[in-house]
Amino acid sequence: MTDELPNMKRFERRELDVVVTYEDGSEFQITYDDLRHACPCAKCSPLRNVDEASKNLRRQVEALPKEKPKVRTVGNYALGFEWTQGCSSGIYRFERIWDLANRRDPDNGKPYVHGAW
Amino acid sequence: MSDSPVSTHDPKGDVAPAEASPQEQKKMEQAYAQMKRKMSMEEISKKIKHKVMVLSGKGGVGKSTVSTGLALSLAQQGLSVGILDIDITGPNVPKMMGLDGRRLHVESGRIHPAQGHLGVKVISMAFLLDNEDTPVVWRGPIKLGAIQQFIGDVEWGNLDYLIIDFPPGTSDEPLTVAQSLPDIDGMVIVTTPQEVALLDSRKSITFSESLKVPVLGVVENMSGYTISGKAKPGSEIEIAAPAGKTLKTTADDSGAFSVTLDIFKEGGGKLTAEEFGVPFLGALPFDPGFVRGGDDGVHRIVSEPEGPSAIAFAAVVSALQEQIVEDSGSGLEII
Repeated sequence: MTDELPNMKRFERRELDVVVTYEDGSEFQITYDDLRHACPCAKCSPLRNVDEASKNLRRQVEALPKEKPKVRTVGNYALGFEWTQGCSSGIYRFERIWDLANRRDPDNGKPYVHGAW
Repeated sequence: MSDSPVSTHDPKGDVAPAEASPQEQKKMEQAYAQMKRKMSMEEISKKIKHKVMVLSGKGGVGKSTVSTGLALSLAQQGLSVGILDIDITGPNVPKMMGLDGRRLHVESGRIHPAQGHLGVKVISMAFLLDNEDTPVVWRGPIKLGAIQQFIGDVEWGNLDYLIIDFPPGTSDEPLTVAQSLPDIDGMVIVTTPQEVALLDSRKSITFSESLKVPVLGVVENMSGYTISGKAKPGSEIEIAAPAGKTLKTTADDSGAFSVTLDIFKEGGGKLTAEEFGVPFLGALPFDPGFVRGGDDGVHRIVSEPEGPSAIAFAAVVSALQEQIVEDSGSGLEII
């Protein structure tokens, strides 16, 4: 569900969440907990496949200190976040952030299977 | 104290500094050379607009072919391009660029790159070997020094793109380059569609995260081999393909037909890119002309600038350029 993705114009880090503003003027909030739970790296992604493991990941994320991450652009297709604790490996494509902003499942309900194609 | 605003120095009262030992002097000279090189690397980096690393997890996937193809395709657009062949133990970019047997020109302590097809500037270890059969057997620190020299002591001039071709795997070389050359735009991962190559490409993608260099995308090389021929117009043709498959096609009104054989499976590069959430830059056909061109020193893009391989490379380059953030930035404000 990313065909209507507008360009991201502003990414404002606040204490507990980010405010993302797109060029069409739309504005969304994403909590750091949501962002970290949706980490697309190969280590975190499989944990969201199973309900219990996903809840566990959520609990682990929520237990981490609340902090503003360092943000870097990755090429011109994604953002990367660096946290002092927890996983900083994920490369978040703009489509993924758009899905999170719109409260959609960024995995589109697809289980992550490492090595499958 | 004198009233004069100019201070004078009277050496009589000073204690003469102790002479540095030869070892200390050597260390100081090394530190000075290192500092000079670092400054030079930063200076060089400013003159090169975009730096792109080309890597693969596995050998033999056509990394140098892709590096030279990207460079030539960019040069075809009228851009100023250089290739840095970091593959110290198996340097073959010069041969592919028609620069076999060439020597580098050194002036005032600066190395001047050789110029190949379409004005592409090339630096490679191959230029320093007396004999192409001589193996380079170097341990890590020596390799590291040579790489830093290749970056810091080369007079590239102003470049739009510098393509850096690496040996396969995730070893010292990319690490050294990523740490020495500031502002690298990202890396291109070359793979072939078979499972083993894909597994290793995944390692390269993960490696990029530890280097903090973004993956600009995955290129699938040797993606399919197109055979074409002539038959009776409108006739149906059956071709035996790999894995016991049969491909069917129909000759057109002029009798021409073509089919693409997926020699090493198909679509694996795209799926790997999707799996890791990195862009897929495109697939390059399996083209035996690259082998002949590589051996003859006339790259396929030069010998057939309008051919299918040149077109495929142009599409990959266009996808790559889309991924590279221009100096104006993406306009994203991060606060």
